[in-house]
Amino acid sequence: MSSSEESAFWTILSYLIAGLILWCGIGLLVDHFLKTNFFVLIGMAIGLGSSLYLIWVRFIRIER
Amino acid sequence: MSQPGFEPPGSGDFVFTPIFGNSILATKPVLLLFFSVILISTFFIISSRKAAVVPSKLQFAGESIYGFVRDGIGKDVIGHEFQRFVPFLFTIFTFILTNNLFGIIPLMQFPTMSHIGFPVSITIFVYLVYHYVAIKKHGLGKYLKDMCFMPGIPKPMYVLLAPLEFLTYFAIRPLTLAMRLFGNMFAGHLLLMLFTLGGEYLLGSAWFLKIFSAISFSLAIGLSFFEMGIQCLQAYIFTLLVALYIAGALADEH
Amino acid sequence: MTGTLSIVGFGLSTIGPGTATGLIFAAYISGVARQPEARSILQPIAFLGFALAEALAIFGLVLAFVLK
Repeated sequence: MSSSEESAFWTILSYLIAGLILWCGIGLLVDHFLKTNFFVLIGMAIGLGSSLYLIWVRFIRIER
Repeated sequence: MSQPGFEPPGSGDFVFTPIFGNSILATKPVLLLFFSVILISTFFIISSRKAAVVPSKLQFAGESIYGFVRDGIGKDVIGHEFQRFVPFLFTIFTFILTNNLFGIIPLMQFPTMSHIGFPVSITIFVYLVYHYVAIKKHGLGKYLKDMCFMPGIPKPMYVLLAPLEFLTYFAIRPLTLAMRLFGNMFAGHLLLMLFTLGGEYLLGSAWFLKIFSAISFSLAIGLSFFEMGIQCLQAYIFTLLVALYIAGALADEH
Repeated sequence: MTGTLSIVGFGLSTIGPGTATGLIFAAYISGVARQPEARSILQPIAFLGFALAEALAIFGLVLAFVLK
């Protein structure tokens, strides 16, 4: 594989990790202060959705 | 051993006591690190000292490693400004390669990079370099703007995407760079240690288990060669990703 | 031996995405090898599949740390 694919490969992985860590962290913080336990799941969904959207914008839509 | 049974190797096997004296600088990984620096500089000084048009075998070996990093990684990835970064990439490649290969050389048998401190310090250096290059070329404001706000998406989505891009560039990328090298070396060393210690333990048990001890030892030897491939590949991938990050920092827009 | 069971669960859960990633890139490589001009069409599809498969692995990683 060429280096552009290698780069895209690791960037996709980084985006997924970043999205989930960011929004799960926010969800955990909200849970901690409001004494609830479901915001972390909402955060997980938002994180996954936003990182998949970013990947779609960056690697899938533009190259068409 | 207080209780009978096999004790599997764990992260405690990666902690070394100082070989001499009481200083933390005299443990095995640090000494291997110093040894690798001496080894690399001696090899390349000797191989390039009597540079001739018709190269000797040593000169050919040195030049082919250099040519691999310069043409295969630097020129292909970074592009027309690659000449400035070749020494940096070359140093990183040879340093990581030598330190990784210590993991399977008999008597040393410890990859230095399986201590997280060493990949992290290399990564901090890389981090400073690629951000410095980008800020010097584009200026801080334009660099951040290009990074966080990519064109062609509806405005409300920036609320979701800008922090994501920022976090990716400033935290996740260097983190994965260090963790990948560390994780591969750590897991590989643990695997080799498991098969070697397992074979040793089986050798001291009942007679019919001694056959399995032979299998375990031969697997350890086979996996050593597999590990050699992984060690070279990790050094290559690390250097390639450093080159990709520098290329991304130099690009007009990504 | 001591440890957390959720880490073992995460280890097991990476088998699926690992296999999936391997299959996706195997198909991508053989497709590009057969028809090099189809690369620009195949590349986004391969990355889409990779992102979806890898999302599950990262999901497992986060769940292993969140669920106590």
